[in-house]
Amino acid sequence: MNATQGRIYIKPALILFGAMLLGAFSPPAFGQNPKLDIKNLEPLAKKASEVVDVNLDGALLKLASKFMTSEDDQEGLGIIKNLKGIYVKNFEFDKPGEYSQADVEAIRGQLQTPSWSRIVSAQSKHEGETTEIYLMTASDGGTVLGMAIINAEPKELTVVNIVGPIDIDKLSALEGKMGIPRLGEKVKESSKKPEDHHEKQK
Amino acid sequence: MNPFEEKLRNALRREAAPEGFAEKVLARTRGLPQPGEKAWRQFGAFLALPVLRGALAAAAVCLVIAAGVVHHERQERWRREGEMARVQVRQALRIASVKLNVARKKVREINRETPPSRLKCAVHERPQGVIT
Repeated sequence: MNATQGRIYIKPALILFGAMLLGAFSPPAFGQNPKLDIKNLEPLAKKASEVVDVNLDGALLKLASKFMTSEDDQEGLGIIKNLKGIYVKNFEFDKPGEYSQADVEAIRGQLQTPSWSRIVSAQSKHEGETTEIYLMTASDGGTVLGMAIINAEPKELTVVNIVGPIDIDKLSALEGKMGIPRLGEKVKESSKKPEDHHEKQK
Repeated sequence: MNPFEEKLRNALRREAAPEGFAEKVLARTRGLPQPGEKAWRQFGAFLALPVLRGALAAAAVCLVIAAGVVHHERQERWRREGEMARVQVRQALRIASVKLNVARKKVREINRETPPSRLKCAVHERPQGVIT
């Protein structure tokens, strides 16, 4: 075998070896990070009349759980117990058209990976409202690794990203507790309690 | 050897130390302060000054108070951050729950025959509804 032939065989072997190394050292959950990048929505805060921006990582959730001592907080405490992060961006605008579809698509694009499953997509063409719920589940199919909610209304945009094993039934069951209105009640006005006003940034 | 040399020789003649000389020397050195001991004694005397004692006590009190203030500030900051995090958690859960239930309600409206726990099943079934 001469040198040229040797090089021909070595090249694919090197590529294969490189690929194996990459596979060996990449984290097992690579591509399975349920945390979304929602920073692209931050400029919308300037246009919005009301903004709710919640960024709670694991450490802050742990800290918060130490202060959730009231009886009213116990349900919420059970939900956040094993979470690694909660990120919410909610913008309310005075008039429609303040945010673009590109803003929503930037988030939606991150959810188009095989690890995310869209479990609900409800569109109201009459009201111009879209709600999508995505879940990231572990490869065993049972454990929920994260959840994302995109709610786009003409004058409101909401993105919720929950990182960690979230129980959606428990989350849904918070209705009527912790100041959360029942769906029969007027959701828009009462979805934000006065106690949170200082948290809102204009 | 001349007389001068003779005198010098006699003068420089080795003589044995008187009896008990070494003991006497050692006894006297024991009574003398050691080189470091003197400095410590002076420092002790300096500390014994009433003005200095008062100043030291005041400084110690100030130090304790400052440490207390710093500790209290830290505790307060920790409590404030914790309270803020708690409010944020409640706010986030409220928004997430409301939006989740709005979507669930819509799906229920589309599929009236579907049981209320549809969403749980939907994890596998992936229903997608459109309300027009």
